[in-house]
Amino acid sequence: MTFGEYIREHREALKSEDRRFSVRQVAQRIGVEPAYLSKIERGDVAPPSEAKIRALAEELGEDPDVLLAMAGKVSSDLQEIIRKRPQLFADLIRQLKSAPDHALLRIARDVRDGDW
Amino acid sequence: MIELMNNQLTFRFPEVHQKAACSIDFQRTLRIPDDNREYPLPPGLGRFPVEHVDDFANKLPDTWRSHGGVFIPMYQSEALWINFSGDYPCAVKIAAGKINAVSGETWSNGLSADPQDYAVIPEQPWLDGFNVSEDFIRQFVAMPLGEGFTAEEQITGKAEHGGLQIIVYPMKHDVYVEHFERAVEADLDYLDMPMFSRTVCESAAPDMGLAPGGLMRQEIYEDEYGIDAWDQDNGFRCFIHLANSEQYQMITGHQPPHKPATAKDYTEAGLPWFDYYDDSKALAGSDTLGKLTSVAAKVIEKGKGLLPDNEPVHPKTVKIISKGNVVRDGEF
Repeated sequence: MTFGEYIREHREALKSEDRRFSVRQVAQRIGVEPAYLSKIERGDVAPPSEAKIRALAEELGEDPDVLLAMAGKVSSDLQEIIRKRPQLFADLIRQLKSAPDHALLRIARDVRDGDW
Repeated sequence: MIELMNNQLTFRFPEVHQKAACSIDFQRTLRIPDDNREYPLPPGLGRFPVEHVDDFANKLPDTWRSHGGVFIPMYQSEALWINFSGDYPCAVKIAAGKINAVSGETWSNGLSADPQDYAVIPEQPWLDGFNVSEDFIRQFVAMPLGEGFTAEEQITGKAEHGGLQIIVYPMKHDVYVEHFERAVEADLDYLDMPMFSRTVCESAAPDMGLAPGGLMRQEIYEDEYGIDAWDQDNGFRCFIHLANSEQYQMITGHQPPHKPATAKDYTEAGLPWFDYYDDSKALAGSDTLGKLTSVAAKVIEKGKGLLPDNEPVHPKTVKIISKGNVVRDGEF
C-alpha cells in the first residue's frame, strides 16, 4: 500500500463516523490546500514534508514514525542521532535487521523514569 | 539509558564516553543484630529479583506508575545492600524515602560537595546502610511505611515516598581522558562493550521503606576527583520501589526468594563474614542520620517487646577483602 492509499483509507474510515475527517477539513487543520491533500492521497504528487506528515499522523491518530517510513523519510531526530555516530548506528541497524521483534524490544527497552 | 537485565540495572552514558557505564544490583543478606555492637560486613546471598513497574502497571498503586522505575520484593525486617560495579568512574547518589543515605538531606537532583552527598564508584564497592558516623553505617532494613520506623518518617514525620532512589552521573569525558586514557585512545566498539559485571513479611502494607538497623563497620569514601569531575548534565535516575514479598507474589505471580537465614544460624554454621580494607579517606557521618532510632530500639520504644531474631552473634570467620578482590558471596 502506498503512502497516499494508506492516508486515504484511514481518513475515510474516520470520516465514516465523523464528518470532520473530510478532505477539506483535514487539509484545513494541517494547513494545506484540499486539492493538494487529494493529490497526495491519489499518489499524483510525492508525500509532503516531515512537518506535514507529523501533523497528519497527529490528526489521524497514527504513529508518525510509521507514516514517515511509508513516505520514504526518516524522522529528523533519528537522522541527527545517526549523524553523530554514523558508522556505529549503520552497523547496529544492519546487524539487527533480521532479529525478531522481541529481541529488538529487549534492546530498545529502558527503565522508565517518571515523576517523583 | 538504564537497562534492566539479569536483575541488574545498568546505567549507560554513550553520549559522554563509550565506556561510561555502571551497574547496580540489590543483594539479599542477613540482618545483622541491632544491638549497638559493631559487626563486620554480612555476605551477599544473591540478587533480589527486579521487575519493571510498567510490566505490572494495572496491579500497582498510581503513585508507583507515576514514579516509573522498578520494584523488588522484601520481607518485613529483611536487609539489603547495594552492589556497585563498573570501571568508569561515576558519582552515585542514593536515597531511601527521598532521604539521602550519605548526608541525611532530603532529595534533590544534582550533587553537593559540602557535605558530600554521593559515593564514587568504583572506589565505593557497595553501600549497606545509612551513614551514621565516620566508619559506621546502620544497615538498610525494610519496614512497612506508616509505622514510624523508616528514616523518612523519623526525619520528615511523613510516610510519603518509601523505596530507594538512585541517580548516577558519569565522570566528564575530558576528566576521564585526562586521568585514564591520555596516552591511548581505546579501540571502541559499542556492541562489544563489556557489561562490567564484577565477581565481586508479615505486613499487608504494599509499600515499604528502609529503616536503620544494626551497626556495621563500613566507610563511605571521600570524592578524590572533586565535584567538578562529574557530568551533571547527563545523569539518569531510577525509583526502586520495595514491595512486600507477599504482595509481590500477588502482583507478579512469581515466587519471591525465601527468607534469608538469621545472623545466628549463618554464624553458627561457620560461614564467613567480611571486612573490607581500603586506605582512602572516609566521609564523616551525617548528624541527622546519626540521631535516628534503630529498628530494635523503636520496637522497644513502641512497647512491642523485642525485635525477633536479634540475638548478638560472634562471627568467627571474617574474610579480609580489598580492592581488586571484592567477592562477598555467602551460601546458606
